[in-house]
Amino acid sequence: MSRQDVAADRVLSLTLKFGAYTAFALIVAGLGLQFFVPWGIRLTTAGLLVLLATPVLRIIVACLQFLRERDFRYALVSFVVLAIVVLAYVLGIQT
Amino acid sequence: MTLATMLLLVAIGFGAGGFGALAGVGGGIIVTPLLAIYFGLPMHQAIGVTLLCVIATSTATSSQYVERHVTDVRLGMTLELATTVGALIAALVAHHINRRTLAVLFACFLLYSAGSMIKKAWNSRHAKREEVIPDYTPQNYPMGLAASLIAGGFSGLLGIGGGPIKVPVMLLFMKVPLRVAAATSNFMIGVTAGTSAYVYWGRGDVRVDIAAPLVAGVFAGSLLGARISPKIRAFYILMLLVCIAGWLAAQMIYKLLTGGFQ
Repeated sequence: MSRQDVAADRVLSLTLKFGAYTAFALIVAGLGLQFFVPWGIRLTTAGLLVLLATPVLRIIVACLQFLRERDFRYALVSFVVLAIVVLAYVLGIQT
Repeated sequence: MTLATMLLLVAIGFGAGGFGALAGVGGGIIVTPLLAIYFGLPMHQAIGVTLLCVIATSTATSSQYVERHVTDVRLGMTLELATTVGALIAALVAHHINRRTLAVLFACFLLYSAGSMIKKAWNSRHAKREEVIPDYTPQNYPMGLAASLIAGGFSGLLGIGGGPIKVPVMLLFMKVPLRVAAATSNFMIGVTAGTSAYVYWGRGDVRVDIAAPLVAGVFAGSLLGARISPKIRAFYILMLLVCIAGWLAAQMIYKLLTGGFQ
């Protein structure tokens, strides 16, 4: 159990749950509403965007946790991973 | 899209997410060929949609593993340095690879996954549950990073999680206990698939109308599956998945030989 920090795990798990349930709720609501109102599909898209944002949010939360623990080595690792993911987003739009 | 098609997609997502979580394998591997063969989606679009399903599975199930302190977040984050680079490069390259080549690669990976699931099923027959995680220190980081780069590459190219590559390497070369390796791989998959998904999304290769019902099904299936998985023996579910993967690989090969996937 030495490698796993209990408090940090809890915050990270809550982040993932928050992302999962928010995306799920938005998508289900959108899928139902699209048969009745024209803006239903926008809710669905918003849900998928929340889903796509969750991994990034997760890296940021982990990075902050490492900073709080003064574990600068892993904070830097998280930051570099974040930079690569952001680069993917930028390149994806441009190509 | 008709209500019937939508419900069918929800059901496929539910099955892929549920079986995936129960058996501890990514369900994405059966989603791509189903979309490409039966829904007539071009390979790039089928892969783009599957990436979202893979993120959904990882997010839904890893929240529970992290909560149970099985995931090694530090190890996962370190290996993500390599998986994200691999995923980014492969996602950029995938656009320039023709659809038939992608389909051939995918069929090969389906067969490889079926093989690794058979091995996993065979081991699960007489394996005792690891109750307590033994103390460990990950070894051989260069090997782990190299394997992660390749796993990330396959993820960006074929829209899969890459678990069948990462887990054995973590287990054999990095000396990480199996449960930790599986949970950590699952945790990494969200970020890896996310990296490729941004490239596919930016390019317009993710169809919202198809992705949304699938993702809804995957969420429901994997949340339920992860909850009941400690109580269920993975053997029969793995064998069922092997049959599905084998059938889909045969269908893909048949379609390739008859000139499909243009």
